[in-house]
Amino acid sequence: MTATDTVIDVQGLLKSYGKFRALDGLDLHVARGEVHGFLGPNGAGKSTAIRVLLGLLRSDGGTVQLLGKDPWKDVVELHRRLAYVPGDVSLWPGMTGGEAIDLLGALRGGIDEPRRAELVERFELDPTKRGRQYSKGNRQKVAIVAALASDVELLILDEPTSGLDPLMEKVFQEVIGEAKDRGSTVLLSSHILAEVETLADRLSIIRDGKIVQSGTLNDLRGQTHTAVHATFVRVPDRAALTMFHDVHLDGDRFSATVESTRIGEAMDALAPSGLTSLTVEPPSLESLFLSLYGDETAAGSAR
Amino acid sequence: MSAITTARPPRASAVTGTRPLLRVSLKHDGRTFVPWAVIATTLSVSSIILYPIVFPDEASRAALAATISANPAVGLVFGPANDLMTADGFNAWRSLALGGLMTALGAIFAMTRATRAQEDSGQAELLASGVMGRDSRLLTGVAMSAIGSLLVGVAAGLLTIVVGGDPESSLLLAATFTATGWVFGSLAGITAQIGADARTSNSMAVGALGTLFVLSGFCYSVEAPTWTNWVNPIGWMHETRPAAGNNWAPLLLAVALSVVLVAVAFLLQGRRDFGQGTIAPRPGPDRGVTRTTWRLALRINRGPFLTWTVAFVALGFVFGYFATSISDLLASDQGIQQVIASGATTPEEITSTFVRLILSMVGILAAISGIQVMLKVRSEELEDRVEPLMAGSVARHRYYGSNALVAFAYPTVFVLIAGTLIAWLASGSDLGVTFGDVLLQAVVTVPAVWTVVAVSVAVIGARPMLSIASWSGVLVSFVLTVLGPTFGLDDWVLGISPFWHVPYVAAADPDWTGLGWITLFTLGFLWIGFAGFRRRDLAR
Repeated sequence: MTATDTVIDVQGLLKSYGKFRALDGLDLHVARGEVHGFLGPNGAGKSTAIRVLLGLLRSDGGTVQLLGKDPWKDVVELHRRLAYVPGDVSLWPGMTGGEAIDLLGALRGGIDEPRRAELVERFELDPTKRGRQYSKGNRQKVAIVAALASDVELLILDEPTSGLDPLMEKVFQEVIGEAKDRGSTVLLSSHILAEVETLADRLSIIRDGKIVQSGTLNDLRGQTHTAVHATFVRVPDRAALTMFHDVHLDGDRFSATVESTRIGEAMDALAPSGLTSLTVEPPSLESLFLSLYGDETAAGSAR
Repeated sequence: MSAITTARPPRASAVTGTRPLLRVSLKHDGRTFVPWAVIATTLSVSSIILYPIVFPDEASRAALAATISANPAVGLVFGPANDLMTADGFNAWRSLALGGLMTALGAIFAMTRATRAQEDSGQAELLASGVMGRDSRLLTGVAMSAIGSLLVGVAAGLLTIVVGGDPESSLLLAATFTATGWVFGSLAGITAQIGADARTSNSMAVGALGTLFVLSGFCYSVEAPTWTNWVNPIGWMHETRPAAGNNWAPLLLAVALSVVLVAVAFLLQGRRDFGQGTIAPRPGPDRGVTRTTWRLALRINRGPFLTWTVAFVALGFVFGYFATSISDLLASDQGIQQVIASGATTPEEITSTFVRLILSMVGILAAISGIQVMLKVRSEELEDRVEPLMAGSVARHRYYGSNALVAFAYPTVFVLIAGTLIAWLASGSDLGVTFGDVLLQAVVTVPAVWTVVAVSVAVIGARPMLSIASWSGVLVSFVLTVLGPTFGLDDWVLGISPFWHVPYVAAADPDWTGLGWITLFTLGFLWIGFAGFRRRDLAR
């Protein structure tokens, strides 16, 4: 990956609030044109990392490059090329949604008028209501429309769908897909896997201010184990089963797990014993995430 | 036995649940009353302690009385001075109006916080869905402001007696604090039903308080007919005359008015929808014209601007009319005639001092509007509204600069509005001042206002956690410029207030260097604020 292809390049990022270390050597690499899922439990440091990327917080150490620039120093130039949707959208109480969209768009340096109209229509947003009258989901729609109505190279979205209903979430996914087709890069933060699973090309999982896993969905699937349950005609030789983990052999009933990438070999190893039944459970990413999140709680309570 | 532990379900009524709610409210919001109680108590206690020290003999007391009657502008704030020859009389003059004002502010904010602000934040929705009668929250607000006001009175009264105040006079004085709190707390109960949100409700109640306060001082100072004191609740407080007759009867009027106001508030609450004011919101424009940080800063401060403009037009008329009557007041005052006859001062000098002081008062009040703009920068940041803005292509110094510009522009406009009106009215009287002189005096007051506002620019930019320190400029200026001279402080102490450096433009040879010095301080504060805002973490 060359430097020009890397849109977000973070290495060893540190950020502390007083004694609390929010980011503890974070590495994050996002390539041009990809939708990058940024996953982690609540309080893992997602929003802090994003605020550093936006130049709102000053890093305490490490290097941060956004589109080849320094997010703290080159704010004005960089922000013309990116758009942001915060997780907690707070609108001006007396200003209508339409006015807020125009203000945020204008501060970014311009708005694509036909697309603004189209997005307002697709998200079924009433732009004449005042900020204090909107529900959480509708406030989020205002921020999404404001961010997507201009053509930008990078979209930074911090849990953007947490208040949307399923229909609007579908619209959101379509719209992000279209932005990707136009060549935008997307950093999509969330604490729910399902939210990013359909959209993301690559994922980074953050825990305690560090990236603990990073790769494509397939890479991550590769790290999970496939469960195999079988019933045999002949009880196999234990020596033939060394590639399996967590082996339980109870008479002719067999259950074990195997690396997802070696599933073919596993079938070859089992076939000689004569299979009367076979169940193969595909790897569940959810279980991987739950185990990662679970570690976090265990580590958190151990401290 | 509380309603929670009782086995029998409590009888449902419109006020069910008031007791537990009040207990929680007192626990969490009770301490917000403390600053107001401290200020009111300190005013009263310090008067009793300081009086014999600062004015040890008859001569110095007589001089104080002469100084105060020579400058009726002081009466605008403090009301009538009935007896300045005793510590209790001095305390009544110095504390009655301001102590009542502080208690009333505390009562207004307590009432709005317990009622309207909870609806805005959504807390009330949680409460209303619980076992809670329709009128419980308003009743809790009434109780909060009533108990808070009572405690201010008890604290101020008892502590004043402890330090040596006359028991009856001190208690009566403290009772006027409580009564003022009751009247205006109850009034806030009504504005909480009318306003569309907590901020509007507070502005309406504080606006009414401010208007009545100024009118009362004005009526006393220009010696308006007696009935003008009796139609104004703050006038009733002055009519109690602590330490100069001790008349308790007017307090009954205040209690009666409070009861009526609370009844009206309950009536209005029964007629409106939850979370809505009496006026329903209409749809707004679907397209916006606010497209720069500068326009945004103007936009979010538009409401206060209109309120302040009205206030300063009113203030200009009141002070201006006041100026027209000063020559009569001076002519009729024996003490001041003697001072003039002795050659210590001239009528022109007294007039010039008077004009400069009322314009300084206008300036100190106007600075409050600028500090509010800067505090708004902080509250916007805490409410996550700065984050999406700064994610746009906006340099920090431009965002901060837009707001600082508004913070400087507002008080400038207000000083000029009030200054023009005062100049127009004063030049039309036999005061012997020209329109140009008074207007120029207003113009040279503006740099001092800027210094006071710049303090808040420095605080919000560099140390936003200490946003309360934004008020230090106003506080110091008020204490030193309005109160300081009567305590005979040294020049170097008085000179801490930027208003001390405002030149007398009508003098033969005005000294302009002071303006240069305070402007250097203004620039220094601005530099601290902008450098701090550029370097610090935002949205934290």
